[in-house]
Amino acid sequence: MLASVCSATLHGVDGRPVRVEAHVSTGLPGFTVVGLPDATCREARDRVRAALLTSGLRWPTSKVTVNLQPPGLRKIGAGLDLAIAVALLVADEQLKPPEVLADRAFLGELGLDGSLRAVPGALPLIDALEAPEIVVPTPCVNEARLIDRHRIRAVDDLGALLPALRGESDWPDLPPRPPPVVPSPGPDLADVRGQRAARTALEIAAAGGHHILFVGPPGAGKSMLACRLPGLLPDLSGDDAMEATRIHSAAGLPMPGDGLVRRPPYRSPHHSASAVALIGGGTTAIHPGELSLAHRGVLFLDELGEFAPVVLDNLRQPLEEGTIRIARAAARAVLPARVLLVAAMNPCPCGRGGPPGACRCSAHARARYVRRLSGPLLDRFDLRVEVGRPDASELLAAAGGEPTDVVAERVKAARARAVARGVRVNADLPSWQIEEEAPLVDGARALVERALRGGRLTGRGLGGVRRVALTVADLLGDDPPISSRHVSLALALRAQPTFLAHQEAS
Amino acid sequence: VKAAAVGVELPCEAYAAALAGLPGMGPARLAAVLDTMSPACAWTKVRQGVPWREPAVVAALGPRGSEVVAGWRAAAAHAAVDLVWRGIVDAAVGVALRGRPGYPQALVDDIEPPALIFHRGAPEVLAQGARVAIVGTRKCTPTGKAVAFELGRELAAAGVSVVSGLAWGIDGAAHSGALAAEAAPPVGVVGSGLDVVYPANQHKLWHEVAQAGVLLAEAPLGARPERWRFPARNRIIAALADLVVVVESHSAGGSLHTVDEADRRSIDVMAVPGSVRNAAAAGTNALLAEGRAPVRDVDDVLVALGLSASTQRDGRESRPAPTEDDAVVLEAVGWQPSSFDQVALRVGIDLPTLAQSFERLLAAGWIVQHGAWYERIAQGDSRRSLP
Repeated sequence: MLASVCSATLHGVDGRPVRVEAHVSTGLPGFTVVGLPDATCREARDRVRAALLTSGLRWPTSKVTVNLQPPGLRKIGAGLDLAIAVALLVADEQLKPPEVLADRAFLGELGLDGSLRAVPGALPLIDALEAPEIVVPTPCVNEARLIDRHRIRAVDDLGALLPALRGESDWPDLPPRPPPVVPSPGPDLADVRGQRAARTALEIAAAGGHHILFVGPPGAGKSMLACRLPGLLPDLSGDDAMEATRIHSAAGLPMPGDGLVRRPPYRSPHHSASAVALIGGGTTAIHPGELSLAHRGVLFLDELGEFAPVVLDNLRQPLEEGTIRIARAAARAVLPARVLLVAAMNPCPCGRGGPPGACRCSAHARARYVRRLSGPLLDRFDLRVEVGRPDASELLAAAGGEPTDVVAERVKAARARAVARGVRVNADLPSWQIEEEAPLVDGARALVERALRGGRLTGRGLGGVRRVALTVADLLGDDPPISSRHVSLALALRAQPTFLAHQEAS
Repeated sequence: VKAAAVGVELPCEAYAAALAGLPGMGPARLAAVLDTMSPACAWTKVRQGVPWREPAVVAALGPRGSEVVAGWRAAAAHAAVDLVWRGIVDAAVGVALRGRPGYPQALVDDIEPPALIFHRGAPEVLAQGARVAIVGTRKCTPTGKAVAFELGRELAAAGVSVVSGLAWGIDGAAHSGALAAEAAPPVGVVGSGLDVVYPANQHKLWHEVAQAGVLLAEAPLGARPERWRFPARNRIIAALADLVVVVESHSAGGSLHTVDEADRRSIDVMAVPGSVRNAAAAGTNALLAEGRAPVRDVDDVLVALGLSASTQRDGRESRPAPTEDDAVVLEAVGWQPSSFDQVALRVGIDLPTLAQSFERLLAAGWIVQHGAWYERIAQGDSRRSLP
């Protein structure tokens, strides 16, 4: 007999509907899965067999063929286990009538004891399904409820599922919605002593979405500053939260209690990361990379100079467009990747760097270090701040910095001004809109001209400086036009890294 | 001897140049070989692979002498002296052989005179006037560079030739200054062959020094800038100088080697004082602590040379005076490289205002920016003519 069940599989960060067909017929006993399953999916046979037997059901002693349709799409993971089991039970006539499958979809991995286990990517999978009623494992119920198109049924095991399907018992009650999780406050900006320029740059980066590069010797506090950036960002809005949740769900990251990622994500991959780990990819199934996992949040690349240059250059196009288009022979996918990039690096291989004359690296070693960072990538950083190890006396004299929540309030207000302009943040402001939204007063124009003539600023850097200057004005509560105060600060916070200046000047 | 024409009869400089081009032929070995016999005889001996028995040559060859001699023989078998000589003629390079006319008088009595020296430009300039070597680190501060530039310019204007190594940093700045004065001819001593410009982006400076003065090299044409060639080069710089001035040096570095060479020749060494926080001045400050004379300005050097101090120095300040607020910022920048952040901590005014002050001071020439670092400078005019 034949049965057909709706389910879904992951493709990149999106779900794709899959129809599971089971056919039980006379013939030599055997069980075949066809329709491009991956290794995990193929192993469903053994999990389903054990689950049926431990749940007191029969394993058919006839020829069973399971077809996963559409056959051209690679099916990954164990999420189809439940659908295969249900299709098999109906085809084997252990579950009657066949109408129980109508208007229902099934998602879930089976344990050998018949229990239902969570599947990664529950949110995008459910989003891909059109069936009015969806059966999911209980641990996935919070994610499932984020989409209210469907009626959600949550069950713990096969033993509870079958009576409910047959109508012999009621569906188990859904667990109550957990209250929204109040995320634990991250590290506070008040812990950072001194570093006025770096703190201001961090505030500007948070308010305007400008990528930021910290250059400084080891122990100067670059990482300490970077990990305080997410705390300055406001909660994600509804759509942004949903986008981030979909990606985190698809990647199988631990989800917050109520299922929705409300805080901007923060990802800091180690510098040994491969291009695929950072950008996403894979030969058959496409997995999101760190760049996508940080979507709508912060991507921190520590020791930027130690990343393989070819890996870094992969970042250029996604940073510009906010999406990554991955194409492989067997699959293609578009992954979202709109991040705030924070990078930190030592000023030179010896790390002493800092003021001119202090570094003892050979010219050759320094030139090699500089070559690791391509000019086009450097151009993406509108804020470049030299972070020095403060003198002990300066450290003690420095006033205690403002705490995160005070700065975050200003960031929120500045972001609201950007939204009024029709963009999410000032960094997204298209070039043609800059002159309109952020005209320069004469003094400011003269400053910019001098910087351009003196070679301090490139034509490409000009747009960056004007956007940053607009964010500075937003933070100070000043209305356009942009004055020389705003432009001066934007220029001061966009210094050419000293190791590059060495090169040209000597 | 200026390589003017290629006749049938090759001059002995041609054989000497061919010997200098052999692999493993450093200054000491070449000097030992040429002390024992004429270049032409030595060349024949090398080609025939006759073992060397002269004690001076054996000592210079060291324990693995037979391998070196075998290497010479193999290389000499493929080398043609007339082609080497033609290459030298075509490159407009002259060759001076010790003991022959045209060899610089300044090097004749040296304790380690180069057996052979290649020159481009006018070697006659070595016979006239006083010479001061200005040396220092390649990794210098903008202040160090400006000081080297000013010293070079004012010494040249006072008729003193500047001797230096054409490297990045202090060396190059000193020669740029000397060239800017358009007075006394500069003398450049390089470590590589005269046709191998190193560092490659000093091409313009090489050309200008050879035009205005003379460029010297002990290495044969085509020699790469190998590490061991630079200490040898430093000894020639010291040997040519009447006085050595170190502008900025780290606690260890090539310029201190030049100081050692100057000490061996009893040539006076002076040093420019630097901030105790400036790592690039650690070496020069140590020299001062040893009791060397400090260089505060060009007059200190001229007096040490026994020349009268220059009188026509322009001490007027041409830059517009900073406003009261800007003066506070300028004071906070101080006389060593400071970052924006350091100044912000010292001054305590809000950052946009501070950034505005920086822009005004930069525009007026009171401070210079080097990457993310700002430094106060004393004389507004010299920086503008720096390359």
